[in-house]
Amino acid sequence: MKDLLRLKTSLNEEIEKILNEQIKVEAHSSSIYLAMSSWCDDQGYDFSADFFAKQSEEERTHMLKLFNYVNDRGGRAISPEIVNIPADFESFRGVFEQMLEQEMYVTQQFNNIADKCMKVKDFVTFQFIQWFLEEQIEEEYVARRILEMFDVIGEEGTGRWEIDKHIPKVSYEG
Amino acid sequence: MICPLAHFEEVYKTDHGAVYQCSRQNCYWLDFAGGTTAFKVSDFFNFKKKVDAVDISAMIIDSSRTADFTIIMPFRTPRCFVLDINAVLNLRELLAGAKFMIELNSVVNECLNVTPDRAFRPQTTNH
Ligand SMILES: [Fe+2]
Ligand SMILES: [Fe+2]
Repeated sequence: MKDLLRLKTSLNEEIEKILNEQIKVEAHSSSIYLAMSSWCDDQGYDFSADFFAKQSEEERTHMLKLFNYVNDRGGRAISPEIVNIPADFESFRGVFEQMLEQEMYVTQQFNNIADKCMKVKDFVTFQFIQWFLEEQIEEEYVARRILEMFDVIGEEGTGRWEIDKHIPKVSYEG
Repeated sequence: MICPLAHFEEVYKTDHGAVYQCSRQNCYWLDFAGGTTAFKVSDFFNFKKKVDAVDISAMIIDSSRTADFTIIMPFRTPRCFVLDINAVLNLRELLAGAKFMIELNSVVNECLNVTPDRAFRPQTTNH
């Protein structure tokens, strides 16, 4: 019998599902970072507000990269519904801690996807997500480096102002 | 009525209905409750998801008369499925069986390494 299923899609049902879940995670990250950007702006941390606005945009491009991949492979990408985005945050430091936690969670998700790809022998998707795994090295590095600044510079006096000023300079050289 | 031009093969059949594949139109025909409906591949699987998502226990618990039936209107079909609990279960059984056979067909094709008819085949030399 003619294989209509494979003519329609090259994506395994489970892989499509897990990629759609990841689309949601990236969209969630994007929204959280945008909320953080707004909070930083409100608190007077201008550079951090910019930093998070950029992060937010980056996460959206990650989302679209996955989104297009699912559709290009014959699957159906689902536009995600995003809920539970906080408007307020405990502290300046807390915001970056939450960012690191979020990025570590994302890394873990991609590890799970890689694992699933291996199990169903979907090496095309496995290859596709390598880019994301690589990207996560940078994301976690930047968050950790910023958190270290809170210890190195200290939050007392003009410390937070100083930290904020140094945020744009944190980068990963690879 | 199934399209007269259709070149269909049986995918799965139960006492309550059947699913056929039309390899000419690349679609599936569902024969159920006295009517036939054509589905594109992705629509067919979406329809299955909808049928699977029906909350049977809520239908049982809810004593109001409207809860005896559930209505599913798949996009791009002229059909409106009005289903009681029995019909939901029968339809689920049919669609689950069909899905299994469709996936099995993919696996079999893959394992046999069947080259699609129109695909390029390398020439084999006979010794
Ligand atoms: Fe991301
Ligand atoms: Fe990220």
